[in-house]
Order: sequence, then C-alpha cells, then structure tokens
Amino acid sequence: MNWLYGAWAVFEKDLRLELRNRYAVNMLLMFVLSSLVLVAFGIGETAVSTRVQGALLWVVIVFSAAVGLGRSFISEEERGTVLLLQLNTRGSMVYAGKLLFNFLLILSVNLVALGAFILLLRVDVRAPGLLLTTLALGALGLAGATTLLAAIIARAANKGPLLPVLLFPLLVPLLLSVVSATRAALPQGNGWNAVGDEMLTLIGFAGVVITVSVLLFDYVWNE
Amino acid sequence: MSDTTHAAGAVNVRRYRLVRNVVAVWLTLMIVAAFLRDIPRLNILEQTARNLYFHVPMWFTMMTAVFVSAYHSFQFLRTGNPIRDIRALQAARVGFAFGLMGLITGIVWARFTWYAGTNIWWNFDPRQTMAAVQLLIYGAYFVLRTAVDEPRRRGRIAAVYNLFAAATVPFLLYIVPRQMHSLHPGAEGNPAFSETDLAPAMRPIFYAAVIGFIGLFWVLYTQRVRLAVLKQRLQGDPEI
Repeated sequence: MNWLYGAWAVFEKDLRLELRNRYAVNMLLMFVLSSLVLVAFGIGETAVSTRVQGALLWVVIVFSAAVGLGRSFISEEERGTVLLLQLNTRGSMVYAGKLLFNFLLILSVNLVALGAFILLLRVDVRAPGLLLTTLALGALGLAGATTLLAAIIARAANKGPLLPVLLFPLLVPLLLSVVSATRAALPQGNGWNAVGDEMLTLIGFAGVVITVSVLLFDYVWNE
Repeated sequence: MSDTTHAAGAVNVRRYRLVRNVVAVWLTLMIVAAFLRDIPRLNILEQTARNLYFHVPMWFTMMTAVFVSAYHSFQFLRTGNPIRDIRALQAARVGFAFGLMGLITGIVWARFTWYAGTNIWWNFDPRQTMAAVQLLIYGAYFVLRTAVDEPRRRGRIAAVYNLFAAATVPFLLYIVPRQMHSLHPGAEGNPAFSETDLAPAMRPIFYAAVIGFIGLFWVLYTQRVRLAVLKQRLQGDPEI
C-alpha cells in the first residue's frame, strides 16, 4: 500500500469515527472551557501580569492535551481493531495518521481556548500573527510528544492517569518557549523581534519528538 | 561454588571485588582529604567551598548514569536481551539517587551562600531546573515500569520511554539558559573550572572526587545488577 494513502486512511478513519459521536472533541472543549472559567473566577478582577496570563493559558492547554489525547490508542485496544491495523498498514502509517488527527484536534481546541482566554481574562493581544504561530507550533510539539506516549500507555495494564505523569517532564522545554513567545505577543512584549530562540526551539522540539517517535513507534506498536 | 560461576553471567565478580576495594580506599582517603586539607579562604563561601568536592561530582555521576541507562535501553531494543533491561533500570536507579544527592547538596549550599540572608530555597537556576526535570523523567520511568506486568513488554516500553525522554532533554540546554540567569561558574559562556573558579590547591581532590564517585556508581550499579539477576534466576526465569 502506498505510504501516504495508508497514513491518510488511518487519519480519515479516526476523523470519521470522531465525527460520529464527537466524544473527544466535545470532552476537550468542555475541559478547556470549564478550567479556564475556573481560572478566571479564581483570579477575579485582579490584574495579572502577561507572564502569569501566558502560563495559565498554556497550563490549561497542556492539561487538556494530557486528558484528551490519551484515548487515541486505548480506543483501538478497546474496539479490538489493533490487529486489523497491524495487518493492513505499517506502523509508521498508523503513527502519521494518528499524529495528524491529534494535531488537528489539539489545534482546534487551542483556538477555542485562546478565544475564551482573551474574553475571560481581558487579554489585549499586540501581535495576533505571533500568537497564532505560537499556538500552531505548540500544538505540533504537543501532538508529537503525546502520540507516542498514548501508544505506550495503551500497552500498560493500569492506564488511568499515567499519561500526564509521562508527558509533563518532557514538556518543560516546550512550555518555557510557548509561555515566553505568548508573552511577547501580549502588551509590553516585543513581538516578533524577541522570539527567535523560542521559535527555533519550538520547531526543533517538534522535529525531534516526531523523528524519534517514528524511530521508536514500531517497538511499541508491533508485539 | 567458585567465584567465576557465581558471576551470574552478568558481572565479573573478581573485577567487581577489585574495583569495590579500590573505590572504598580511594573514597575514604578523598573524604578525609576533602575535610582536612587547607582551602583558600573566600568571603561568604568560607568552609562551604568544601561542598565542591561532593556537589559537583554528584552531577558528573548522574550524567554518567543517564548515558549508561540510555545506552542499555538502546541495546535492549536492538537485541531484546533481558540483561540490558536490568542494566538500564539499575543505572537509572543509582543515577536517580546521585541526582537527588546533587540537588540536595546544591539547594542547601545555595541557600547559605548565594541567597544568604534571604529565605530562598528553590531557585530557577538552569542546572537545577535540568536536574529536577531529569529526576522527574526517571520518576515517570519507574512508575511506567510498575504499570506493565509482562516482562518483555515492560522492558520494551520502558526502553522506548527512556530514549524518548533522553531526546528531549538537550533542548533544556538550549532554551533554559536563555530564559533564566545562573550564578553557576561557567554558565554564562565563560569556561567552567577556569583559574578563577577552581583554585589550583583544590583541583587534585576535586578530580579524585569525580573519579571516586563515578567508581562508587559503578560498584553500586554492578552490585544491583547482580542482585536483580540472582532474584530473577530464583524466580525461575529461564532466559537469564
């Protein structure tokens, strides 16, 4: 089977299943919205610095990724479709399809989270283009790091809340860069001039986690 | 049973005993010298400068352990030999202990020198952050191992996580120093351990300490590997 066709087929299957019941996307949206509302109520009318605003937004996003993306391989195990996928596709196709699906999922959730964040926390955005780029690159790095870990926890006996434990230590470089880039896009930030290092780190991080995931995925996927 | 058959196939017992004895004598002499030899007197640092002999070698030892662990994880994925998984796990465990010691000695040292007069215990020094992240990664690695029951699957999944985590750590080297300021010698681009950072009088003991603690790592690590192999054998695992 043509590699691109196989990867696309896996992606299309996931998308179609998701559109049938919309469990993951609805759950993620509600998670992000309710936690941002909690954050907004917790802060109240206090003015918080842009550093704290950026940190709050990204902590909520990272938690939502840890909660929502963990299902992508567990659902295959539950439906008993792992063997069918292993027979019909190669591991890298499954990885690529799942990665694309997770990326789009987390990106759309990020956009909604950003809207709610701007409304609820009364944020003034200085450089919208930079903020959107940061969201997209952050979503790519998040999806890249989470997809392999989701495959790992699907193989574990006690799945529970294992994904956040595995994921958070790996996300420290990502979190540092996105928070700093987000801050540059808010008032008192220096916009594009100040974020060369952050953008480089985000691109490099996404590149490395995806490359290493592709190299390691077969060891998790093929029993 | 002679010494060589006792080796459990994994560890050469003769070599182990030799290294263990050398390390015991070496570390004893080094610790005595570390506390008794004269050191240059500096304000604020005073006698705490002797912590250099303990704090810094802990980091070197943890880095050695991280490399050993990642190497054996890689070899486990390549060959599937169960001894590789045992080695990766034990190196991570001993490395974790050394990292924790390095973190504690560093926190206490900084509290009473750099932050003397304040009440700051935790600071966002780049090296401290990196060490904390590495400890968190190993914590997650140990938790992951307990979540899988079947040994082959556990070994493979743990090795994948170990290597995946090792790939993300170098980013900290790049991004963290650009966002956090460091008081560490050698952190702002100047070479570490230059004439001003490490007095010539302290060098011999410092180098001896680095070698001694890495030797201690080797002793503890091989000892634990041997113990793990014997345990598995008693449980009747035919592959070891």
